Amino acid sequence: MGSSSKRKKDKQKDFQKPKLKVGKTKAKPDNYTDTSFKSKSIVLTQQSLHLAAPTSNATFTHNLSLLSAKSDSQRRDSLAYLTTSISSRPVNSPLPQPVSVILPSLLPLILDGATSVRTQLLKLLRTLPPGDVEDHVAQLLPYVRAGMTHLAADIRSSAVEILSWMVEAAGESTVSCAGGWIKTLNCFLSVLGWHTEESSQWSSSRASFGKSGSQGKPVVKTLGALAMFLDAGIGKPSVDGVDSEMSGDDESPDWPFPLCQTAQHMISDSSTPFAYLNLFGKPRDEEGEMYETREDRYRVFSTRFQPAIERGIKSAREEGGELGRASSGVSKVLKEAIAYGPGP
Amino acid sequence: MVKRKLGALEKVEADLPNLQHKIRRDPKSYIEDFRAQHYQYESHREIYMAAPSSATDTGLISLRDLIDFISHVADCYPGICKDFPQQLIDMLMQHHLVLETELREKLVGSLVLLKKKDLLDSATLLHTLFPILISTPSKTLRALLFQKILSELRTANSKTTNHKLNRTMQTVLFNLVTSDRTSAKGLWAIKITRELWKRQIWTEAKAVEVMKEAALSQNEKVIIGGVRFFLGGDKEREELEDEDSEEEVNVGQVKHQLTINKKTRKKARAAEKAIKAVRNKERKKGNPSPLNFSALHLLHDPQGFAENMFFKHLQNGKSNLKLEQKLQVLQLISRLVGLHKLHIMPLYSYFQKFLTPRQPSVTSFLASLAQASHDLVPPDVLEPLVQKIANEFVSEASAGEVATAGLNAIREICVRQPLAIEETLLQDLVMYKKSKDKGVMMASKGLLSLYRDVGAQMLKKRDRGKEAAMSLRAGERQERRYGEQAVGEIEGLELLAKWKDEERRKKNIENGLPSDAEDNEEENDEADWAAWNVEDDEDSDVDGEWINVEDDVDIVLSDSEDEGKPASKKAKQEEEGKKDADKEAEAAKEIDFMKLATTRILTPADLAKLTELRAQAAANATLPGNKGRVAAPWTSRHTDDPLTAGEIEGLAALSAAKATREERIAHAKEGKTDRSEHMSKEARRKERKEEQGKSTTNKEKARKKNFLMTLGKARSKNKRSLVETRAVLRAHVDRGKRGGRRGNVGQ
Repeated sequence: MGSSSKRKKDKQKDFQKPKLKVGKTKAKPDNYTDTSFKSKSIVLTQQSLHLAAPTSNATFTHNLSLLSAKSDSQRRDSLAYLTTSISSRPVNSPLPQPVSVILPSLLPLILDGATSVRTQLLKLLRTLPPGDVEDHVAQLLPYVRAGMTHLAADIRSSAVEILSWMVEAAGESTVSCAGGWIKTLNCFLSVLGWHTEESSQWSSSRASFGKSGSQGKPVVKTLGALAMFLDAGIGKPSVDGVDSEMSGDDESPDWPFPLCQTAQHMISDSSTPFAYLNLFGKPRDEEGEMYETREDRYRVFSTRFQPAIERGIKSAREEGGELGRASSGVSKVLKEAIAYGPGP
Repeated sequence: MVKRKLGALEKVEADLPNLQHKIRRDPKSYIEDFRAQHYQYESHREIYMAAPSSATDTGLISLRDLIDFISHVADCYPGICKDFPQQLIDMLMQHHLVLETELREKLVGSLVLLKKKDLLDSATLLHTLFPILISTPSKTLRALLFQKILSELRTANSKTTNHKLNRTMQTVLFNLVTSDRTSAKGLWAIKITRELWKRQIWTEAKAVEVMKEAALSQNEKVIIGGVRFFLGGDKEREELEDEDSEEEVNVGQVKHQLTINKKTRKKARAAEKAIKAVRNKERKKGNPSPLNFSALHLLHDPQGFAENMFFKHLQNGKSNLKLEQKLQVLQLISRLVGLHKLHIMPLYSYFQKFLTPRQPSVTSFLASLAQASHDLVPPDVLEPLVQKIANEFVSEASAGEVATAGLNAIREICVRQPLAIEETLLQDLVMYKKSKDKGVMMASKGLLSLYRDVGAQMLKKRDRGKEAAMSLRAGERQERRYGEQAVGEIEGLELLAKWKDEERRKKNIENGLPSDAEDNEEENDEADWAAWNVEDDEDSDVDGEWINVEDDVDIVLSDSEDEGKPASKKAKQEEEGKKDADKEAEAAKEIDFMKLATTRILTPADLAKLTELRAQAAANATLPGNKGRVAAPWTSRHTDDPLTAGEIEGLAALSAAKATREERIAHAKEGKTDRSEHMSKEARRKERKEEQGKSTTNKEKARKKNFLMTLGKARSKNKRSLVETRAVLRAHVDRGKRGGRRGNVGQ
């Protein structure tokens, strides 16, 4: 008993009220934890201070790496920086980095959610030299196609813009690379909704799903791109092109008379001259095949796409207005192509 | 910044789940949108497949989402998606090593989903998943795949057994186990087979064959997996079945609750489910229960298997199994030997070197040895082993537990092969029944009572006991020779015959017919028997007629009948000639009840009655008042049941050394909750009140009052005048009358 009286007192203490006194600070509770601390210095773990400013090349690379940044504005700003640094470089000097390095970080941005990033991207792409783009079309196209069939209408329309830039810059390789002809045309049809008979009629509920997009007249833009694409693919070969081909066949100005067909035996000037052999890729199906000549493309087009496109054009023309005018551009290209036929 | 207000249409975000929902409702209208998404998937796949290891996060997420989306709605557009399953399979098969985890899981899940939608058949699915299961280094993927494969096999077999699929899968597993015997990949075959065996999806010999091959492999994990299956797979299966049948759903209660509680759709669904479950169960009850043989019975060529295992894992010096694993293998071999009565002669000499008390887990060896002996093992093979056990284990000098284990082991061997022990040794061992050690005594008595049953002539005369001695003298009991087999019979048939007789008798009496009247032509041949049977019963106690067969027979037939009838006693006192006749009659009866089986077809009702009677007899035998011997434990054992080391150790706990006082106190205290020192009830109550912060009584306060405070009053009391004292006393009396200072209420 004697020893436990102390314990009892301890227990009773729990039930006693704390006494508050006027003019004194309130007592700290039992479970109070002191969180204040003192420090003589603050150390930043990552800090890169240099006396010399970074070289333009280093900033270029740095900005290239910033393209995968989380914030939209950061990506846009980096793109803007890259654009200016490419466009303001001295004439005929090489790019700060080769296209094969720049392009992989640019490609995912085609599907970027922010509109400003995509417009900036298009500006950057336009500054790239067309000759360098030609070899990388096969890499670009899957992203562009993914963009063209994206759920968001804005991304769709900007992908169409990028495609028209590609056709401008490297039309021949765009239509002739692996999967470039059939798959891209399929995408066009699905963007325009021309796949089936009922969906191409004007009375059907067009673009039934998702927002129509803030940038106006996407259909008109798409029709324009389609006209360019068709022209590049199956349009009548331009006269001087044919001329140069013919002259190459007959006798090249580079090679004097006794040497004929020497050009065929020289090292090719395209980067992947044997791509059509598909030595290292997966076996391709009909859709993913390369259609290198106009004749092939025309054959595929006439069997697979011609009816659908003609039907689509017809209904677009019936709608009239701006759409009708745009459709007339396509139909003009189509007519020329059909008039030219499968080729000489 | 002010938030821009959104229009109702704008709010509908164009996301895949939304589109999926719309497609589900109206696939035809959204075909263009789906086509676009399919192209999108195609391009993403192309991008991804170009460089599977260097994909970006956003690309991965969109590919994953698209795969998810397309696999969910693929059944709406079978034309567009006809290549989709194959593409997923290719992606998974070729790149499962480098695929990002979540995408990989999504692929597996999507394939299963496509299977559910019948866009993929289960054989293809399993052929896709299984090779990845055994080759992938990722643990999570393996777990996922294992689960998916199992559930796929279960669903494929849910309605009817899918024999074709089972056969292909079993062949795959068989090939996996047999193709590379040194690899541990066979474990997956074991895991799958065991799981399916447990759930009674696979019950065929082919599955057992897979396990057999596993047990013969060279990888110890695989070996032990296979062996464990044989030792425990069937028990596991039974346990699961019991579990399933245990969960009872009370439909009445569910319905009642539905009327009382708040009615929600969820509760209604739960009730519906419960009713459905009950209905299913009832339907199942009607079905004939499937005959499931245990894995040990389904083995093809058990002799070859057991021999192979023995030479490969035990006899082979190169096998690097641990002792524990060797014991498991030995257990399996010995069970096979005992169950199928196999002959593996080297096995017994293998035991020789392990039979010493110093051998670790020797009781398991003893149990295995006992399991491995059966009545077709030549006695001269077992005799040295029994001799060795007796020499090594059973002696006055050895510890009680050791002697107990030895005696138990000898008994278990002798139960299976009574000829395994010599007469002198047996008589020696029986002497231990006088041992002071309780365990030893019990074990020795067990041996004694066994031999009273199976070989009383080997015991000394005074040990034989009354029953055995009498039957020996009568010459009823013959020593069973080596290899002799008992005549097969239906267990409890004599009970049924007797019951039938009684029934007929009752009926005849009811109908007022003479008891020998027959209601059935077929039973004419039994007429005589029935007639004198009844007569006998009626006047059995009238005279000492010597044909008092019924009572005697009763004793033989069911032990529960009391033996104290005067007639039977008389019968026993009859002279020899009469006894002969007695025996004849008995023989006749025996033939008669055998006739029941040979001349008539037992109807299901008969069989049901038979089981009932058997159960009744078994129950009667265990009644405490019963004079008849309780069935020995060794007769109740089923041949399929294993013998464990625990049984060999037996009552060893009884022969353990006496515990010290401290140990006994600790043992006594074990169950009790801890309590503080002793205190009176009052004191404890007070303490409790104080702890709760409650007040004390007046008495308590007075007792605790400070002494100095009471001093003044005490002093003043001394100085009171007589008058004052009187006033105080009066006031006290007055107060008492009033009922205290405050007075009684109401006054």
